[in-house]
Amino acid sequence: MDESNHWYGHSQIFGGYCGTAQGGVLPRIQGFVQHGWNYLHGFPPNDKWCSPGYPRFIWSDVLRRRGWSMGRRDHYLIGAPWIYLLAMEPELGRIPEDRREGTIWYPFHGWEKSSVHGDHARLAAEIREVETGPVTVCLYWLEYGDAAIRKAYKSAGFRVISHGDRGSRWDGKGRDFLRGQLKELRRHRRVASNRLGSALFYGASVGCDIAVYGDPMQFEDERPEYGGTERRMRLWPDLHGVRVDRQLAHEVARRELGFEYQAGPEELRRLFGWRKARCA
Amino acid sequence: MRVNTTPDNVQLIGGEMLLWSDLTQARDWGAIATELAALFVTERGRVLVVGPHPEGLFDMVAARAGSLSALLRSYPDACALATRHPSARVFCGRLDVLAQAEPYDLVLAFDGFAALHSAESPVQSWRESLAALSALIADGGRLILGVENDLGVDRFVSARPAGREGDDSQWTPHGYDVTYPNSPETVERELQALNLSTETCYASFPTREAPRALLATHVLAQRPPDALTVPLSARGYDARMIVADPLHLTRTAFRHELADRLAPLWVSVARKEPSAPSHTILPTGLLQSGPIVHEVIYGGTGWSRSALSAPPVTGRVRMVAADASATIPHGRVLEEILLEGCARDDLRALRDTFTELGAWVKAQTPSIAVFGTTDNLVWDGVRLRLAESGWTLDDAPIVEVVLCRILWRFAVRLLAAGHHHPWPWPIEADQLALTLAGMCGIPCDKEHLESAMRLEEEIDTVIEPGRTPPAYRELLEARDHLHQCLSSSQARVTRLETKLTFRERDLQKTKAKLRKVRRKALACRRTLGYRLSLRFARPRRLARRVLRKFSS
Repeated sequence: MDESNHWYGHSQIFGGYCGTAQGGVLPRIQGFVQHGWNYLHGFPPNDKWCSPGYPRFIWSDVLRRRGWSMGRRDHYLIGAPWIYLLAMEPELGRIPEDRREGTIWYPFHGWEKSSVHGDHARLAAEIREVETGPVTVCLYWLEYGDAAIRKAYKSAGFRVISHGDRGSRWDGKGRDFLRGQLKELRRHRRVASNRLGSALFYGASVGCDIAVYGDPMQFEDERPEYGGTERRMRLWPDLHGVRVDRQLAHEVARRELGFEYQAGPEELRRLFGWRKARCA
Repeated sequence: MRVNTTPDNVQLIGGEMLLWSDLTQARDWGAIATELAALFVTERGRVLVVGPHPEGLFDMVAARAGSLSALLRSYPDACALATRHPSARVFCGRLDVLAQAEPYDLVLAFDGFAALHSAESPVQSWRESLAALSALIADGGRLILGVENDLGVDRFVSARPAGREGDDSQWTPHGYDVTYPNSPETVERELQALNLSTETCYASFPTREAPRALLATHVLAQRPPDALTVPLSARGYDARMIVADPLHLTRTAFRHELADRLAPLWVSVARKEPSAPSHTILPTGLLQSGPIVHEVIYGGTGWSRSALSAPPVTGRVRMVAADASATIPHGRVLEEILLEGCARDDLRALRDTFTELGAWVKAQTPSIAVFGTTDNLVWDGVRLRLAESGWTLDDAPIVEVVLCRILWRFAVRLLAAGHHHPWPWPIEADQLALTLAGMCGIPCDKEHLESAMRLEEEIDTVIEPGRTPPAYRELLEARDHLHQCLSSSQARVTRLETKLTFRERDLQKTKAKLRKVRRKALACRRTLGYRLSLRFARPRRLARRVLRKFSS
């Protein structure tokens, strides 16, 4: 249906959850899966490519309400692909709680068509000041490809990693994106970023403390519909800062990732237009 | 939507909707909401207006009150209001997060709570919303609260199921909130539970989208006269598909003393206890007619109304101050009397009534008589009286045109609604109007009728813009009527066909007879006797001719 359904291995996760053949090219998902946490209506403002008549598989109810008020229909709440991964992989990367340590830090990232501008060295210095334990900086594959950005964090003594390319339906690049992220999050005690985003909620859902601090940086094509950093601050004032209430973060993460909207495999198969894999 | 352009007097409190405006869907209150609110606005009073309200109301409060605060969920609307009233304090967001240290003397929520919920959070129940609002009212302060009636008369009128339009404002469906009140008494109980004692509850008509009248529910049991209920119905449906005649349905609701239960909207005026004795006398009702708001008065002398403002002098069709205050007449609406006469085929009663109408039109000044339509005239048992008076028309036309307008309007409504009537069925509205004019004793012709139609359009544009479309039930009636007409036509055609067949058969017989006679005559001429008789006859004819010549 749309390429974004397959980013970050989302379609593979659903394929596994639904018992559809894994490994090969998955059938099309007949609809549009929300591919990242979003505080508009689950999709970018210019979402004309979401053809009317096909469902929009979104993560949380607030997105449905906002989307409805903005003239969007056909919402279907299934929660984030992440919750299906957690359902399938309760033990993946899990280590004893007392052995979890350090912070995994996700600097806000751009994408292929728009990049992010900001001072990474200054941000690294700020991280160094705040964090007391070992720090892993996880860069998006685009920023990871930039040696200067990598160096800014490496020179601060941080471990610099990337979960890799987000992939597509036709290559195997993004298939293990979320699995890799889950392993990393389960070995860290804390997850932080300079903007509230998917990674923080993923982390909070697996027991990490969260923190949002540092220069939020400037996105090249920042859309006014989102309302900017001020709106994020107004909507989630308690989630910003170097120390955030663990329980609150966990509750918000469960709500934003739509844990209570998890659908069953048969329901998803029907909705996606998939057939069940034949048993050998 | 850059939030950094926010005016200084706008405070974002959470739940603000950046890409949203309530202005296009706001209730059209005309001037009655402003008039009612004005009774309670004091020089030192702190006023909070929650949700979208008419601009005139904000202007009035800003001009008269000690301070104006407003709560709007829409960010663009909040900015627009804040710019228009720089001294006002505008809170942008949702009701449940508005915490105010200083309570208000007057809280205006004419539109209820529907436009106070934000898409940013789950919708609160009606009871929770009322509790949140109640917390903002000072002791002795007032609340004016509008509550839509899910069983309002307009719900019966509308063909489309209510609340299922699926527009952008319905991200949460209406109708499933168990705390939502179902009667004025329930509203009163809910208010009482929060220490708010109801001073008066008003039933609002004719529609929830555009209320034009507020009548205190406690006086509705006194059987308001038909002349008052006429302006409370039949308007505001121009663009909607309807199933029943709103005029008929509303008047029936009043007659059955269900007007308070079936009002499209209730407006409660409540006061928070403990409160000092109030000197404000609440009106029995407010009624907007054209640009003027009238106060409806009910007392020992009956029902009357009094204009609260002088009418603006503009246009050819306008209101005049002289007739702006008047007693509201008792009696039956003329249209009902005529429809009853039609239904009973009572031509004697119809002739009498039309004669009265003709006499009334002749006796009145044409500039006033022209507004005496059959649904605006009341028969009080002695004479006809205007139900809604006060209108005048400059350069009024002659009596014939005035009468034609009244009769043509009635004829169109009678035929469109498929009512039974005693006149021959193929008759059209034009012919019927001219026939009725004859019954009134004022013969009219086509030219009068054409002028009347032009006049009707001109007056309607001012008084009743957007004519009420035919209702589905009436269309069914009209269809049945047309079906009868068609059956009658078919019977007529069949009868004529039979007659034609007989006539053709007679013609054939006659033709055959004629042919037979002709053949007989020809055969006769060929006989010997005939020819001999001709021969013998010739000399005799010659002799007669000669004799005539000589004799002359």
